Amino acid sequence: MNVPLSPLIHLIDDDAAVRDSLSLLIGTVGLRVQTWADPQEFMRSFDRLSIGAIVLDVRMPGISGLTVLDTLVAQGVDQPVIMLTGHGTVELCRRAFKSGAAEFLEKPVDDEVLLEALQSAVRQHVRSRERHQANQQAREHYAQLSEREREVLGLIVEGLTNKEIGRALGLSPRTVETHRANLFAKLQVDSLAHLIRHYASLVDSTET
Amino acid sequence: MHNALQRYGVRLLVWAVLSALGCLLLARWELAQLRDAFETDARISHRLLSQRAVQHDAVLATLALLQPNAPSASPDSAEQRLSSVYPQILGVQRRDPGGSWSGAGLEAAEQASRQARGAVLANLDFNAERPRYQLVLAGQPASFALLIDVQASVPWADWSMPVQTSPVRVTLEHAGQAFVVQPGHMDEAGWRFEFHKHLASSSQPFDVVAIRQVLWVELPWALMVLWVAAVAAAVVAWSAWQVQRSARRRAEELLRVGQVARLNTLGELAAGMEHELNQPLTAILANTQAAKRLLNDEPPELPTALRAMDQAVAQARRAADVLARLRRTVEPSGTSQPGESVELERVVRSALDLLEPECKRRAVAVTVQTEQPATVFAERVAMEQIVHNLLTNALQALDQVPATERQLMVHIAIEQGAGVLRVADSGPGIAPDVLPRVFEPFFTTREGGLGLGLSLCETLVTGMGGALRAQAHAPRGALFFLSLPLAPMGASTP
Repeated sequence: MNVPLSPLIHLIDDDAAVRDSLSLLIGTVGLRVQTWADPQEFMRSFDRLSIGAIVLDVRMPGISGLTVLDTLVAQGVDQPVIMLTGHGTVELCRRAFKSGAAEFLEKPVDDEVLLEALQSAVRQHVRSRERHQANQQAREHYAQLSEREREVLGLIVEGLTNKEIGRALGLSPRTVETHRANLFAKLQVDSLAHLIRHYASLVDSTET
Repeated sequence: MHNALQRYGVRLLVWAVLSALGCLLLARWELAQLRDAFETDARISHRLLSQRAVQHDAVLATLALLQPNAPSASPDSAEQRLSSVYPQILGVQRRDPGGSWSGAGLEAAEQASRQARGAVLANLDFNAERPRYQLVLAGQPASFALLIDVQASVPWADWSMPVQTSPVRVTLEHAGQAFVVQPGHMDEAGWRFEFHKHLASSSQPFDVVAIRQVLWVELPWALMVLWVAAVAAAVVAWSAWQVQRSARRRAEELLRVGQVARLNTLGELAAGMEHELNQPLTAILANTQAAKRLLNDEPPELPTALRAMDQAVAQARRAADVLARLRRTVEPSGTSQPGESVELERVVRSALDLLEPECKRRAVAVTVQTEQPATVFAERVAMEQIVHNLLTNALQALDQVPATERQLMVHIAIEQGAGVLRVADSGPGIAPDVLPRVFEPFFTTREGGLGLGLSLCETLVTGMGGALRAQAHAPRGALFFLSLPLAPMGASTP
């Protein structure tokens, strides 16, 4: 993994004064802020891999914040998006949440409300990234197993003992023991509980 | 022009058709009345004449039956005394067996009577100086004949019509001769009613002929003229009412459109203002809150906090600029408002006219009292708006009290050189703590109210150099006091 940098907040607003003041405010809690005046420019060049969140003004010249939100979601951007608006109607709010906004805040926004929303969005993003990463690793390890080891793994997950597995696959209990040790090593797990937690879902998904 | 012609044409047509129909019905009704009267008279005449004829038959039959044996020449004989009882009977003849009649034709009549077993007519002469006829009845042993005076046999005492002046002509006709009982008026023009019936006596089957000539002049002309005039008046009133109604509708529509337009503008203004102001406000809030956080840090980050405060100040100025710009845009340019002479009472009347349905619906008793007629110098449209607003407010306040206690009073006077209009209601009144705020924009106590009506009124009044105040009204309710400068003498009143 990269050097753990502090999370990065992308702030998109066409008004320079709003950009400056909000980035100053967000900076006081130790979050890094990158400001964008032009939503098109933002979508072209922001760092999609960064951990953090996006703060998006609804009313901007040229393109609506809602359109930007739709585009981001369609492109699979996983950073949570917080919408900011000066003229909040119920309809606008409903549309924003339906499109996948994490939060919908009205201008002028109170510091605690904004910072709280940002921190919770960042936490959520970090967790989702970690989950994603763990999943990725498990997949890589699983790929290294032999055909026989996968069969044995499947039966272990189903809760069979070594003796039962041997009977089911026509192997001696000693051989099953060996496969079991190998697959524990390849999957980098040290307990049955660990094995089942990380790999049960993979077994299920590859079997079907 | 074409339209007007069409409208008037339609009205003229309606008037003509209604007039003609009414006159026709009136004429027919009058003719029916006249016919009824005529037929009644004719029947009465026929009955009276028939009764006399039957009487003659009876007298003759009695003579033939009783056979009074006194010589007929004697003045005391029953036959001769008959004339004094029945003046129409001029004389009685008797033919004893072997005797003879003293006049021609009686012999033959007796023969006929014997065959017919009843009285028979003889020697009828309607054209004589005294129209007469004889009635012969063959009897056993003696036969009798009566000489009857036609003129005298008409029962004048019981006659139902004035003989000389009645328009009905009555004649008795028989065998080509006619006796005129009553001359009547005969004419060629007009309508003719006729009545024919034979007398109810087989011996004297005279035809009673009654003729009534109704002249044009007898139609109910006065009634017809009255009807035509009434229809004309109704059509005129109806079209006047329509004109008035459409004028009121148009005025209402204009007022409503005006209000909607103002509200639309206001909505757009509010949305624009919200955006324009939200940006600097967001920046101010974020800057000051960031500065607070920076100052709370250990150690405080003074330079950054200072910069944030500078930013906040700049943004506050920006917000003020937004408002100043807005005011410049919205404010009417200069003070050159088109003023004119406006009669307060006229404005009040026209506003009340517009609100009449509202007043009726709420059963509000409205009184307008003009102590002195006041003509003020003001903008007419603005005045209409203000008065309409004040009256509407009062009406809405009255919704909160029972219908029997709803009173709306308008008072016009001249006080201290200014035209003064007071609008008072008997509603719940304005609470003392609310009173100072009623002219604030967006202040309202009414559910769903915008809170702009009174504020707008005050702005308009002030713009015209007047004053608008609210106060409590004794014993209950609210009073709005509007004063405006009087129009200069001699200014034109449009």
